[in-house]
Amino acid sequence: MKNSKNHINSESNLPPSGRIKGGTPPRLAEKLLLWFLKDELAEEVLGDLDEKFYSTAEKHSTRKAKRNYWFQVIHYLRPFALKSTKFRNLTATFMIGHFLKISWRTLLRRKVFSSIKIGGFAIGIAACILISLFVRHELSYDKHYRHQEQIFRIANQYSNAGDFGRWTNLQGPFKPILEDYVPEIELVAKTVFWKWGDVGENHVRKQESVNNIYESGFFYADPELLEILEIPLLYGDQKTALSQPNSIVISKSKAEKFFPGTNPVGEQLILNDNSNQPYTIGGVMEDLPSTTHLQGDYILTLKDRKSGPGSTGWCCSNYTFYIKTIAGANKKALEQKLVEIRDTYVMDLLAAEGVSELDDMRNYRSFYLQPIANVHLNPEEIGDYQQHGQEDLVWIFGGIALIILVLACLNFINLSTAKSIQRAKEVGLRKVVGSVRTGLIRQFLVESIFYSLISVILGLAIASIALPTFNQLADKTLVLPVNNFWFIPSLALAAIIIGFISGIYPALYLSRFSPIDALKGKTKTRGKNSLVRNGMVVFQFTATVILVICSLVLHKQFNHYMNQSLGYEKDQVINILGLNTIEASERDLLKEELLRLPGISSATLADYLPVSGGRITNAAFWNEGRKELDPSFEAATWRVDEDYIETMGMKLTQGRNFTKQASDSSAIIINESMLNQLLLDDPIGKQVVDMFNNKRTIIGVVKDFNFESLATNVRPLAMTRGKGFNTISIKISTNELAEVTSSIGKTWDNIKPNQPIRYSFMDDRFERMYTSLLKAKNIFIIFSILSITVACLGLFALSAYTVEQRSKEVSVRKVLGASVSRLFTLLAKDFIKLIFIAIVIGIPVGWALSEEILQGMANTIDLNWSIFLVSALVAFGIALFTISYESVRAAIANPAEKLRSE
Amino acid sequence: MKETKLGDFEETLLLLVGILDKEAYAFRIAEEFESQTQRAVSIGAVHSTLNRLGEKGFLSSEMSGATAERGGRRKRIYTITASGQRVLEESRDFKMSLWNQFPAFAGNLKFNF
Repeated sequence: MKNSKNHINSESNLPPSGRIKGGTPPRLAEKLLLWFLKDELAEEVLGDLDEKFYSTAEKHSTRKAKRNYWFQVIHYLRPFALKSTKFRNLTATFMIGHFLKISWRTLLRRKVFSSIKIGGFAIGIAACILISLFVRHELSYDKHYRHQEQIFRIANQYSNAGDFGRWTNLQGPFKPILEDYVPEIELVAKTVFWKWGDVGENHVRKQESVNNIYESGFFYADPELLEILEIPLLYGDQKTALSQPNSIVISKSKAEKFFPGTNPVGEQLILNDNSNQPYTIGGVMEDLPSTTHLQGDYILTLKDRKSGPGSTGWCCSNYTFYIKTIAGANKKALEQKLVEIRDTYVMDLLAAEGVSELDDMRNYRSFYLQPIANVHLNPEEIGDYQQHGQEDLVWIFGGIALIILVLACLNFINLSTAKSIQRAKEVGLRKVVGSVRTGLIRQFLVESIFYSLISVILGLAIASIALPTFNQLADKTLVLPVNNFWFIPSLALAAIIIGFISGIYPALYLSRFSPIDALKGKTKTRGKNSLVRNGMVVFQFTATVILVICSLVLHKQFNHYMNQSLGYEKDQVINILGLNTIEASERDLLKEELLRLPGISSATLADYLPVSGGRITNAAFWNEGRKELDPSFEAATWRVDEDYIETMGMKLTQGRNFTKQASDSSAIIINESMLNQLLLDDPIGKQVVDMFNNKRTIIGVVKDFNFESLATNVRPLAMTRGKGFNTISIKISTNELAEVTSSIGKTWDNIKPNQPIRYSFMDDRFERMYTSLLKAKNIFIIFSILSITVACLGLFALSAYTVEQRSKEVSVRKVLGASVSRLFTLLAKDFIKLIFIAIVIGIPVGWALSEEILQGMANTIDLNWSIFLVSALVAFGIALFTISYESVRAAIANPAEKLRSE
Repeated sequence: MKETKLGDFEETLLLLVGILDKEAYAFRIAEEFESQTQRAVSIGAVHSTLNRLGEKGFLSSEMSGATAERGGRRKRIYTITASGQRVLEESRDFKMSLWNQFPAFAGNLKFNF
């Protein structure tokens, strides 16, 4: 050893004449080599490998050389080169073959028992693999940038005595301010992701084509975004691709769809038949990877736009800002500087624009820079318009995966020790023939590692079968990384570690038997272990009860949402979409034609819908004359026509609907929630004023209806009269859906023959708003089933163990005349006690957890006793079923068999 | 009992040791093997075989002087022993006699030694 140490030292003292900068052979590999290599070979081998390393590094790369070094080291694991002291115990090494053979035979001898043991373990491992994939994917978002530490999203921060909030949107003219006055910021880009202008879905066609194709994934961005987010371009240049007005960057897959096999830069795309404003393709980007928060196929430039997105001033906060700082910029200092810049340069501009509450802003508002890698899980809970992963869910899943694995390991231990009597004879005999205890321990460890390896292979198979379903549930496109070099080795390593951990206790336990007792069939040890065993069963069933309660609560909550009265009627309403490609007069014509069809009772032209996917506009409101005095509140503002309320089945509680009269153009209908904000007793005829100083007279109050998720409370809403550009909604009064839809299709084709009709049913869209809840419900149900399976295996093991321990007692009782049912009760009683304890612990915990889950939602169900009763009954029923197998078998067994050996 | 037959890989290595002469140490032999046969081989595999050939008495070896290239470490230079020479010749002669009995080629091929 001393010798080899010298070699390491001589290596560091004598660097290899500086041929490769920074690359030296991996130290760890070197250490490993010296650990197993014969001392007398160390010098020549290290020398050879060094030479190999530097020649590879020169010919290829340092990375390849390092990999190759490892490869060479591993290939020195040959008998001639190994230190004899390390592997002296060769008999023990060669016994492994024998141990494996015995393990295989034991496995085959008791097929049911073995398959339960391995199957349960495999299920646990499969669950772990799937959840780990999910967690890994969730944690890998936006971590691939070269300038990772320099990319941020700007958020506003409001902090005033317990009132705390963060949100993204800023005014557009902030961009030149940041560029001019903040040298620490290298690049700034505004983006628009919320449904404004052409964000989201559009009909697209090539300049020379007439056929509109429906496409989604549009958003706006400044030209700098490509550079900030390091989006690689196949065609075009990062700096210039979006720098011309009306330019567009499309993804590789869309380029292949529209312009197969050619370079489309310079080609033009028409959006929504608006041929006055064609978009010129400035570049083609690689498809955005699934691990970026930013998803989309079309980036429209904000450069020099004259109307809509890109053109608003200091009035309105419409843009999400991304920045790239210079290298080494301090985040905290920069946040502080942004506040200073705002106070110095922006406040006056805002005051000139007439923005109110400037003091509030000066005192309580600041800026927060969110590192790009945080955007997906958004632990800062910054309000924005994007889809996020749920951080809690990631950790809950991780925790559950760990618990399932621990339970599976415990079961494995339980099952291994349960059938100890059969093995006791083997142990006794081995000891008699001369086996030492270490040999026996080694045998049982080999056996459990062998089982664990089989389980891991099986688990991998189960995971790959279950992956598509899991993907659907979790809304992911995960794949097993079987091709990654680390995957199989790390699984194998995990199998060995798990096998070792779960095998060490049974190994110590079984190898302890004294040979005489073991051969006589006497295995003592009770009492001491039973606390651990019982504790394990209680733990498992508590987990089961809690998960069953959570699943039931989520299930009920979901059904509650689906059946709740919403304040409008979502059934029998069809939304026809994509009207923005036809003229306004044609839209009116379409509405008239549709109303003429049989089975259609009313129709409304409006883009705002009480389900997801409609337009969103918000504005601040005040009572007339109070703008300078009162704090503002925000209300959703919808432009709808006079048929809207009837078509949607909404109810007016006061006042009247819009009419076609010109005087109604400044009228407004508010919802009850807005009425509460305005604090008006008699609202009809009163006036309100909005942030653009438009005065409007209240003509009606509509009953509150849920227009956003039912999990939130109904916000204030104001409706003004106007017509939609994109959507017409029709109420169907017949059950002949197929007929109606086909006649609608014909009507559409007459007006717009080169664009296929696109429509959706409003109840479907409503359900889609709750997919995340549905997902959570399904995932909890799956975990409950897994947990129940694992818990059952644990109980099965325990019952098998106890029954075996008490088999003589049972036989004696039977001889003395006990009936089968009496014996069954005797055996089952102990377990029922355990299950009862589990239920008593599980219900309060489950209750608390359910309250926690429901706390974040509005319109929740009441937790009542029936949920807890059902979960208790489920636990009981399953437990009884599980223990009955072994108990009944023991109770009906022939007592002579058991007593014969006495 | 020590095996004294030559395997194919052993024979190749033995020949390479002869070719490389003063430069015949494990790394160089492995490199030479890869460049002559276009097959990848680990230094460990070569070393193990050289070691075996040494045990069989076909090779002898000694440590040579240190060079800076290898961080000042010495290398083990292998040389063919008389019995190594003999076994190579035997192997060649045996194959030659087989070739000579091979009718299709026996007339056409000329071997020059």
